[in-house]
Amino acid sequence: MDPNQLIGPMSPMGYPAPYWFLVFFKVLGFTLHMIAMNVWYIGILLCMGLYWRGSEHGKRLSGRLMNQMPVIISIGVNLGIVPLLFLQVAYYRVFYPATILMAWTWFSVFFLLTVAYYGVYYYVIGLRKGDAALVAGRKLAGWVSAVLFIVIGFIFANAMSLMAHVKGWPDIWFLTSKAGAALGTGHNLGDGTLYPRWLLMIGLAIMTTSAYITLDTALFARRESEDYRRWAWRFSFTVYSVGLVWFALAGSHYVFASWPVELRAAMFSGPRAILTVATALLPGLPWLLLLLKRKTMTVAGAGLIGASHLLTLAANAISRQVVQNESIRPYLDVTAEPVTTQWSPLILFLLLFIAGVGVVIWLLAKAVQAAKAAPAH
Amino acid sequence: MHYPWWYVPFLTSPMLIALVSVFHVLVSHYAVGGGLFLAYETQYAHRSKSKHYLDYLKQHAWFFILITVVYGAITGVGIWWTIGLASPLATEALIHIFVFGWAIEWVFFVIEIVSAFIFYYFWSKLEPEIHIRIGWIYAGAAWISLVLITGITAFMLHSGSWPENRTFWAAFLNPQFLPQTLARTGGSLLLASLYVFLHASFKVKDDKLRNLIGKRSVKPALCGSLLTAIGAGLWFVFLPESARLALASASVLNVLTAVIFALTTAVFIMMYVGPYRNPSWISPGFAILFLAFGFGAVATGEFIREAVRKPYIVYNVVMSNQVYADEIPALQRDGYLQSGTWTRAFVAANYPQMMNDGRIDNSRLLDLPERDQVKLGEVLFQYHCNDCHAGAAGYMAMGTLLHGWTPDMIRHMIDNLHIIRFFMPPWCGTAQEAALLTRYLSQIAPEQPAGMYYGKE
Repeated sequence: MDPNQLIGPMSPMGYPAPYWFLVFFKVLGFTLHMIAMNVWYIGILLCMGLYWRGSEHGKRLSGRLMNQMPVIISIGVNLGIVPLLFLQVAYYRVFYPATILMAWTWFSVFFLLTVAYYGVYYYVIGLRKGDAALVAGRKLAGWVSAVLFIVIGFIFANAMSLMAHVKGWPDIWFLTSKAGAALGTGHNLGDGTLYPRWLLMIGLAIMTTSAYITLDTALFARRESEDYRRWAWRFSFTVYSVGLVWFALAGSHYVFASWPVELRAAMFSGPRAILTVATALLPGLPWLLLLLKRKTMTVAGAGLIGASHLLTLAANAISRQVVQNESIRPYLDVTAEPVTTQWSPLILFLLLFIAGVGVVIWLLAKAVQAAKAAPAH
Repeated sequence: MHYPWWYVPFLTSPMLIALVSVFHVLVSHYAVGGGLFLAYETQYAHRSKSKHYLDYLKQHAWFFILITVVYGAITGVGIWWTIGLASPLATEALIHIFVFGWAIEWVFFVIEIVSAFIFYYFWSKLEPEIHIRIGWIYAGAAWISLVLITGITAFMLHSGSWPENRTFWAAFLNPQFLPQTLARTGGSLLLASLYVFLHASFKVKDDKLRNLIGKRSVKPALCGSLLTAIGAGLWFVFLPESARLALASASVLNVLTAVIFALTTAVFIMMYVGPYRNPSWISPGFAILFLAFGFGAVATGEFIREAVRKPYIVYNVVMSNQVYADEIPALQRDGYLQSGTWTRAFVAANYPQMMNDGRIDNSRLLDLPERDQVKLGEVLFQYHCNDCHAGAAGYMAMGTLLHGWTPDMIRHMIDNLHIIRFFMPPWCGTAQEAALLTRYLSQIAPEQPAGMYYGKE
């Protein structure tokens, strides 16, 4: 069957804003979402491991990060709304069919996330009460949450890769349907790009967690001992190095072994080649800065590492977007839909977005002031 | 049709939306009302320098965060997940119309989350006036997010002038917007007080403090009841005629409307004779019963709100069987199987002999062997009917609705679907396709129940 037959008609309403606007917010939102998501994705696993087998400093770091995890998860889930919203506006013709074909798995994210999130809270409540309160049940909850988040990430990789793997839809549909209606039990495990794509995100998550440890130590751990801070920076360098090697291996496999020839040709020609190479090389920059600064880290140095890693994530998000468009292009040109710009809601959104950023900055400033004024514990 | 249909045996996939939504609204209303309660009461406690009350409010804020920031936020995202899976065309339409409404709502979500965490985690570290201000920032952001989402859900019940004007504001400022905003604001205040009673009944051992909490939180609840009543009245007045008639003619909805009135009245009376007159009555048992009544009223209200929309998902825009109302004449002319992306692909893959120049040849559909006609009838059932009806058994199953029906009766019903029942969509296919569906339904229609006596001549 020609998979083109499974692409539905355009919405009669047209895009509510130009494509570039939709995709800008999709990529921006995904970049911001990745910061928090990466930290909990590998961070929880790392913290559980450090608490279980780590040194004194390792346990301290584990406690510090896990204590922040409920807030990180909340903000990350919230930031995930933006890319998902704009994804549904611009990519609805591939997003809905792909997720419906694997509906039960996609639907399960909601339950898994609830359990994982409450598991983190259950662990953290024990953590805040001291070591004695971290009973076996709470530790188990922490490990279960860590595993569930890994599973959720794999489901996301499955759905997002299936969205771009239109060629695989007919087989999945025929195998998992009743009288033409999807049973929702499909998956994209047969897609060669799925595993390297997922592993690539794990590599990014390891590096992001390391960059976050660097920032946490420089900005929020001033009341910790100097010895701890030095250890944390050395540790974050080790973690980043592992992430970098992981990223390089998974990325090489993703690009050179799983991409179709046409996609590779497209991503290595013209300006896209610069983007592809930059995406591959950029993680080296925070690593170099960590290498140079790990013994004499300053707030500015940590900020630079954070900023350069943010650049890494942004390049990755942009590349992913270009790859997604290239993969879908034989079936759908997402840039070709008619546009009926909703000017006044669009402007209102932008104004409120700016105002909202202002309010959040004010709130954070008050929190920082209060934290500085509070006595040390 | 334009998207693959998700077949959920027995239950039907849209019922999953109802399940997730009900659990969400019970918490999302608390996220708004509880925010207003915390802001107002923290202001009172700070200004009256009531340390005991402040300590209680901090405890309540933690309970509030655990319920709303975690469960409320995830079930909110869960609704999105579910509507995209079980009602993709309506979601596509809503996202295209309201993307900036949702984007603005997200801005307020961010403010809510940041302010909620700072409000709680910096409880005794912030200057009282700053703490109060942050509480109000949370409350304001939460209420605005309620207003924004209500504009969207209200549009689904009454699309107002949008079909003619097709602008965001025509959609958002629909006739149901104000009534539902009032009702939901009231519901938030009411439900928040019930949560407060529950929390206080378990956590507060000091009678004096519990009485204070009872007395102070009963007033917003009574105001909330009043707002809800006004909103519900206006809701009824501004219902489209079809929805008002659906409410009057469906016996289940009659019963549920009575249930909602009974539960709301019970809550109001319990509120007056309980916390208002006798604050010391707030015991765990009383609070649980109270909250159960409140949950019952809210869940019933949501069910009625959803049910009266039929035959639409979005009034006059998207039909309950995932087609645009505008498309129906073309579907009736060209065929439902031909017009649907996935139904056409199904026929092309399984019955290539029915295809002529890439199109389904409607005139030859009835030349297929009977077994294949039944199969195609089942495809039509899945895509045209399974939104609301399970097959042989399950939720509103056709098997239970068609006991003893003959093929002629079934065919007559299909041809006159929207006339026999005005809350059904019209048949959206050709005459040949109606014959196919008739064949399938005749196969699953059981016999007339045995042993029924109608007298003898």
